Amino acid sequence: MPESQQHPPQLAKRLLSWVLREDLAEEVQGDLEEKFHLVATEKSIFRARLNYWYQAINYLRPFAIKKSRSVHSKYPIMFKYYIKLSWRNLLKQRTYSSIKIGGFALGIAAAILITLFIADELSYDQHYKDQDQIFRILNADEFPNKDLQKWSSFPAPIKRAIEDEFPELESVGRLINFDWFDAGSNQLRVVGEKSNIYEEGFVYADPELLGILEVPMVYGNHDALDQPETIVISRDKAEKYFPNENPIGKQIIINDENTYTIGGVMENPPSNTFLQFDFLLTLSEKEFWPGEQTFWGAWNYSAFVKLREGSDPKAFESKLDLIKEKYIVPFRREQGDIRVENMIKYHRFEVQPVANIHLYTQNTFDNLKHGDIKMVYLFGAIAIFTILLACINFINLSTAKLANRAREVGLQKVVGSSRIDIIRQYLTESFLYTTIAFVVGIFIVWLSIPYFNQLADKSLSIPWHIWWIYPAFLGFISVITFLSGLYPAFYLSGFRPIQVIRGAVSRGSKNSKLRGALVVFQFATSAVLIICTIVTYRQMDFILNKDLGFEKDQVLLIQGANTLGKESDAFKTELKRLPFVKNVTYTNYLPVEGLKRDGNSFWREGKRLEEEGIGAQKWRVDEDYLSTLGIKLLKGRNLSKDIASDSSAAIINEAMAQKMGFGDDALGQRITNGFEPTFHVIGVIEDFHFEDFKMSIKPLVLTRSNIGSVMAVKLNSDQLRANIEKISAIWETFMPDQSIRFTFMDDSYARSYAQVDRTSKVFTLFAILALIVACLGLFALSGFMVEQRGKEISVRKVLGASLTQIFTMLTGSFLKLVLIAMIIGAPVGWHLMDNWLHDYVYRIEITWDIFLITAAIAVSIALMTISFESMKAGLMNPVKKLRSE
Amino acid sequence: MKETRLGEFEEVLLLLTAILKEDAYAFRIAEEFEAQSGRSTSIGSVHSTLERLSEKGFLTSDMGAPTASRGGRRKRIYSITASGQKALQTSRDFRVSLWNQLPNLAVNKLQFLFS
Repeated sequence: MPESQQHPPQLAKRLLSWVLREDLAEEVQGDLEEKFHLVATEKSIFRARLNYWYQAINYLRPFAIKKSRSVHSKYPIMFKYYIKLSWRNLLKQRTYSSIKIGGFALGIAAAILITLFIADELSYDQHYKDQDQIFRILNADEFPNKDLQKWSSFPAPIKRAIEDEFPELESVGRLINFDWFDAGSNQLRVVGEKSNIYEEGFVYADPELLGILEVPMVYGNHDALDQPETIVISRDKAEKYFPNENPIGKQIIINDENTYTIGGVMENPPSNTFLQFDFLLTLSEKEFWPGEQTFWGAWNYSAFVKLREGSDPKAFESKLDLIKEKYIVPFRREQGDIRVENMIKYHRFEVQPVANIHLYTQNTFDNLKHGDIKMVYLFGAIAIFTILLACINFINLSTAKLANRAREVGLQKVVGSSRIDIIRQYLTESFLYTTIAFVVGIFIVWLSIPYFNQLADKSLSIPWHIWWIYPAFLGFISVITFLSGLYPAFYLSGFRPIQVIRGAVSRGSKNSKLRGALVVFQFATSAVLIICTIVTYRQMDFILNKDLGFEKDQVLLIQGANTLGKESDAFKTELKRLPFVKNVTYTNYLPVEGLKRDGNSFWREGKRLEEEGIGAQKWRVDEDYLSTLGIKLLKGRNLSKDIASDSSAAIINEAMAQKMGFGDDALGQRITNGFEPTFHVIGVIEDFHFEDFKMSIKPLVLTRSNIGSVMAVKLNSDQLRANIEKISAIWETFMPDQSIRFTFMDDSYARSYAQVDRTSKVFTLFAILALIVACLGLFALSGFMVEQRGKEISVRKVLGASLTQIFTMLTGSFLKLVLIAMIIGAPVGWHLMDNWLHDYVYRIEITWDIFLITAAIAVSIALMTISFESMKAGLMNPVKKLRSE
Repeated sequence: MKETRLGEFEEVLLLLTAILKEDAYAFRIAEEFEAQSGRSTSIGSVHSTLERLSEKGFLTSDMGAPTASRGGRRKRIYSITASGQKALQTSRDFRVSLWNQLPNLAVNKLQFLFS
């Protein structure tokens, strides 16, 4: 038997010597060793070791454990006592406690909401298995003296070219995600059914894209788009059209003309991916017009690549220039396109990690809905500020209460509390408050999350199912506890007992200065937020009410009218016959978001090879367009269906006339876009806003056509409901199998600016929150001030001070702080908002009255807050305060 | 005033200490208890009871001689005090008086004890 085996287990021995009272160690260890040897000889070493453990553990009794360690046993008692004291304090001053907790809870709730929002924004496209191999290719133009512009579209042959030039890639796939042929929104029906249903979210995708973006499939697999004329639909849509069956091989018809076979069903895209589409139409063997797939002149395709594992995206990016040099530049040279020189000099390719698509896409045109990393930072800052405000409230209220608590602390010290004990007590108190506030805060979040989701256009929820949320919450509570509790704890524990018990609590000017500074900070923050609110509101108001150059009110947009086909003219005529219809126009192009756009380059006739083209929208409209939308014709005449030559006529806007350098004689000028017959200008219209207010009004060319997807009906009476019923009835007679779908133009217009609206509402929300928190603080502070200066006020009253004088005296000191806060907050708010408005070409100016309104709001709210306590003090009977002296 | 009442375990240990005399230290007492009562215990619980009895003044203790089987450590030898003996007696008398009030049941045996 090895020597070591004959000894008792070392670990148990060490444990014993660690916990055992020193005077007992010798005899106990002796006894146990004797027992060990006895068992070892009678039974076995193993049994002996086991028994030693049993005996050792049985010595963990109160009598045998080290006294020095038994100090620990007082901690639970102490903490019980701390909590009891804190709880009593909390109940003793219900108003102030609830203000403390309420303010805290609001701050915490706001911070949690914002954190959820930020976490959601940051989670976009983070779920791919081969995350760091998936990239999108972008164009970047960096002209001298111009902002960097990026866009995501490429000519169709880019796929073949990349495949040929870079065999080291795993795969490349293209995507068309804007209104183009069957992409966008469509009328849809299952083969065999009669009625059409309107659906949105169609895109064209290469078969490879399913694999690149790791689209999870319900039915079928990643070869689902390999066959021409196939489509992949989402689970939701599959359940809608083919409930409880595998729809692979079934067929659907889009817009009554194109038939697609279902190749697979994908999972509904998660809300945090850029790929928010329900229908993927295959690009396999697709050619939109003869020669389109080899034509390097039409830029319509986004391109995604998957690199091989371990390859360097930067290296790939630098090699991409080869595509430009080998394909695009020679093509443009051949076309005689003079943009080729600029392209060589200023254009480059970039690869963008898929995870960056959502947030890091400023200055990038890609027809996707984006978040904005700036918003994330701004929200993050607001979250930190609200938490800070709440903490400051806590600190302020705790130190303000010092008059009440100082004696308590003094007495505690006299009977033997050490400074550490008092610090511990105050930290416990702060922990208690924070925890209660946190629970209330979570409750507020739970209540308000549906509204917040609506506001921020999200679907957030508290992720209770993630395990680390609990330690995270605990960590959050601890951090806040220390943030808010440390200063009061150190401050209050530092009192000299004799001084405080004698009543000479130093209301040091240093301390009241600090409190003043904190109030200033709170109100300055509120001021900034109020300014932000007012400015965003005004900008929104400006956008909604500006004279746009067209009339958006009382215009009914009947969508999906393209399925009328040849009957569209008849339908239009029917509508025009209604007494309450002013006019009807049939088109694809309207000045609201979500409708078709057609970017072109225009030259004067014959100058195509000599000059840089003018970028302009070319919209195909009918002869009723101008009158339906109330667009003013400045010169010349409208399009007419009776003049045969009008098929090549064009109406241009002022911006176009000016850019082309026509001056005053635009009429009769001839312009070309290079691939259609030359147009002759027959009219000039006034500029109207058809794009975002962030851009100046762009050149626009209107040409004649009589096809479209939207029937825009201008009404001239207020009886909307009755009128719509009549219009619906007419639609029924034409399209019995497709229900009417309409929107109002002013609604669609407002929706184009939903982002501004959202920003403005978010600012309002946080401005109100910040004001509430700041006011709660001010309310409590003024209360304490009145309490502290009670005797002074009474003496003043006895000596003949009037209510007004006392009121002025009390409110004056606070109002001074609020005014200082305004002076600090105004430039900050101005700077922030000027920056924000910078994005808009058409914007409001930040005028001085905004600051005046802000100051008025802040001062009047502060005044209301303070005056309650001040009035109470002024009306109080002075005897009450003085008789105890 | 310290509690002077004896619990059952206390009483047995007190008796064992008196019986074992020079050999009365925690390990031996625990062994003896297990041997005589057939119940198992731990040295720790015996030790803690001995300590309690010392606090009540029924036992005193002194450090004894070291032995090799203890790794050269000394042992604490307990011995019964006068008040300990008195407590044992009081406890016995109390029970006997109770037994004597119980008619027709093993009376003879108890009286035998008395003689």
